[in-house]
Amino acid sequence: MILNDIEIMFGGQAGDGGLTTGDLIAGVFKRMGLEVYTYKDFPSRIRGGHTNYVIRACEHANYGMADHVDGLVAFDLEAVEAHVAELRPGGFVIFDNSSERVPERLRREDVTWYDVPLARIAKDEMGLALVRNTIALGVLATLIQMDRDVVSADVAEVYRRKGERTVDLNLLAVEAGEAYVNRYFTEWPCNYRVQRRWGGDRLLMMGNDAIGLGALAAGCRFMAGYPITPATDILEWMAKQLPAFGGLAVQAEDELAAINMVLGAAFSGVRAMTATSGPGQALMTEAIGLAGVLEIPVVVVEAARAGPSTGMPTKTEQSNLNHLIFSGHGEIPRVVLAPGTVEDAFYLTVRAFNLAERYQCPVFVLTEQALCQSKATLPRLDVEGVRVERGKLVTEPVVADDYRRFAFSPDGVSPRVIPGVEGGMHLAAGSEHNEAGVITENAANRAAMMEKRMRKLEAMRPELPEAIVHGDPHAQIAIFGYGSNRGPIVEAQDRLAERGVATRFFEFRTLWPFPEDEVRAFVADAEHVFVVENNYTGQLERLIRYVVGPLERMHAVLKYDGRPFRPFEIVEPIERHAPARARSDYLSAAKQTVRLKARR
Amino acid sequence: MAAVLSPKEFATATPAWWCPGCGDYGVLAALKQALAELGRQPKDVAFVSGIGCSGKISGYVNSYAFHGVHGRSLPVATAVKLANRALTVIAAGGDGDGYAIGAGHFLHTVRRNPDITYIVMDNQTYGLTKGQSSPTSPVGFVTGTSPAGNPEAPINGLAIALAAGGSFLARGFSAHPKQLVELLKQALEHEGLSIVEVMSPCLTFNKINTFAWFKEHVYYVTENLDYDPTSRAQAFKLLLRDDKVPLGVLFHEDRPTFETLSRLGATPLVDLPLQARTADYARLLERYR
Repeated sequence: MILNDIEIMFGGQAGDGGLTTGDLIAGVFKRMGLEVYTYKDFPSRIRGGHTNYVIRACEHANYGMADHVDGLVAFDLEAVEAHVAELRPGGFVIFDNSSERVPERLRREDVTWYDVPLARIAKDEMGLALVRNTIALGVLATLIQMDRDVVSADVAEVYRRKGERTVDLNLLAVEAGEAYVNRYFTEWPCNYRVQRRWGGDRLLMMGNDAIGLGALAAGCRFMAGYPITPATDILEWMAKQLPAFGGLAVQAEDELAAINMVLGAAFSGVRAMTATSGPGQALMTEAIGLAGVLEIPVVVVEAARAGPSTGMPTKTEQSNLNHLIFSGHGEIPRVVLAPGTVEDAFYLTVRAFNLAERYQCPVFVLTEQALCQSKATLPRLDVEGVRVERGKLVTEPVVADDYRRFAFSPDGVSPRVIPGVEGGMHLAAGSEHNEAGVITENAANRAAMMEKRMRKLEAMRPELPEAIVHGDPHAQIAIFGYGSNRGPIVEAQDRLAERGVATRFFEFRTLWPFPEDEVRAFVADAEHVFVVENNYTGQLERLIRYVVGPLERMHAVLKYDGRPFRPFEIVEPIERHAPARARSDYLSAAKQTVRLKARR
Repeated sequence: MAAVLSPKEFATATPAWWCPGCGDYGVLAALKQALAELGRQPKDVAFVSGIGCSGKISGYVNSYAFHGVHGRSLPVATAVKLANRALTVIAAGGDGDGYAIGAGHFLHTVRRNPDITYIVMDNQTYGLTKGQSSPTSPVGFVTGTSPAGNPEAPINGLAIALAAGGSFLARGFSAHPKQLVELLKQALEHEGLSIVEVMSPCLTFNKINTFAWFKEHVYYVTENLDYDPTSRAQAFKLLLRDDKVPLGVLFHEDRPTFETLSRLGATPLVDLPLQARTADYARLLERYR
């Protein structure tokens, strides 16, 4: 019997309504006091095509996907074919056998099969095919003993908007599922159980929503964007919420317009942002360079997906790190922050706005599909604790002859007026300019102006979000990673610790300016260094090498199949490499592993 | 009504720097005159420009000037207006900036109808890169990039704007300062997007559409007493004629602005309180509980 640690996968055709039921299940787990993480594996289309929705529930906050699927709810044979191999031995399948049969070759004997004619019951007994998802919920809830009161209350809440009849129908559907289990499956108990526990006062939220909330709390009052998966949620969220705060979100004609609108609003003194993903980020590159040289505070959320080009729009990847740090012609100061949890997505978004305005430069908030479109449980957000820091913003009249918009200063930051301020008129030009803003190609001025702008990168260091070190700070095995990989890495660490292998994990929250000293110190006495990331070339690993020099025992643990890591995929290479001191080809061996894994 | 200022209020310490005799000097002088006559204060003027010879103009007007990237002046200007409706927002650029690299924004800004003024300084060539063909160059125009003659039909910016719902379309000639000042004043006072296309000949690289050529081809629509600038049909007819170059206010109508239709609140974005209001957040967070 496994208690309070389960991963449910809802598999079927896109547009079948599995999303609503998946969300419902996640909510029930949360209200039962469990910690929840969800992951959407959707095709890039609206209807049809296999889709699955994973709900992980356990007692550890901020875990990601588990090693295996524990319970597969398969609405069609395709779901069984695609995922039966991912089931943990001892796991189970709820299969809708209304019109299909599972062939014997797929009938794994080490899992329990609960064949239920979900669609047939829905149609024949309930008169509505749509409720088969809710019947499946009733089956699952009964098998794993979900809190019945919470299930009923949540079903009622979710369908409340659709009217009393729909609520009643869905409540009956839960009962139908329950009745079916009690009638046919009492001899085959499920190996999993969930039990109510005290989880504290928490929220269940998607990463993109946390970014929206962070932006609002930080005083963002203007957003411009262009729809692009997986960032669109933020534009939609802001379009809905900003008006109540007096603000506005604009859907632009393209990303070029979106980022230039953000520059225009920010130039005028409004806290402004955009959110995009790889292809849109590429289009925004030129204007972000302009923000750097005009010293305009802009916040750009990059919700990364699998590239290049269209790539896999609904799949996760960490292949845009180089792009955020190095893209653009010429050199500008920029900041790249990367939250590792939904909770941190809120706090780092707030800090992004303050850093942008304090240092008058572009700040990126980098997430991936596996974080931004995933839901997770989190403690209450400290909204009241948010402080808006506007830096050297000038709103009182200045003396026109004395005022220098781009004045040299020790920290590289100059007093910033906004249109409407008496005496502050000046030219903000993308061409190189002097302190007053007058365009000039004078050599000495150019050098001084470059130094002024780039000086901000050093000045801001004390204010940058610090890395979090997880695990045993004295362990011989060091791990680097960021973003959505935090969950699987921490879980891998816990697993390794149970086996007596101590590790420490440096979770980057600021990726640029690169925390050189901290990284150098972290690897100094490490026997082995593992860099875990979702890309092919090892972008973070190369960045670390670039700073700390060649390291003999550095292993890149890479995954680039569009899916997030499962903890065992991190445990395995660490166990394999760490004890083997004799080998010299660690890196190539580690890469080999991951490639095999990705082809699986 | 604000007092009339001297155009000198809008002068910058930096002198304008175009080729001697460039049509752009006429546009600059007329704009400063129009702003002064309307009593607009330099501190309340935001002037956004693109790239090219014409893009330099924002640096020559004492204002909050924004000289951004090529072709993107309109999205910047739109957002400046959204941010602070108290400002007089002007965007300017050339035919390449507006009708080639920025054509997409041109079309969509016309659809939006923000309360800004857009000046297209049309010299029918790329001057700053030394004379290539532009979207308004005539077919057959011989340049370094079109040695066999420009094979592309010229774009009709105002006709496109008219089709897309433009609410104020005017055309001026940089050698007619008085009329240009009047056109710019009307444009600045129009509520909505006002587009002023100014024929601004390039002496150096365009030997065909010269000042002399324009003087022979231009006429003012006001010469025809029957012309109705509130008639879209008449404006279309006029704009699709290609033997002459009509000047003046070609079309205008009242249409709700982007700011109005976006339902912006009474407080300009720039004046909104930034600190979190606890009650609002409690409401927002409730759904995640």
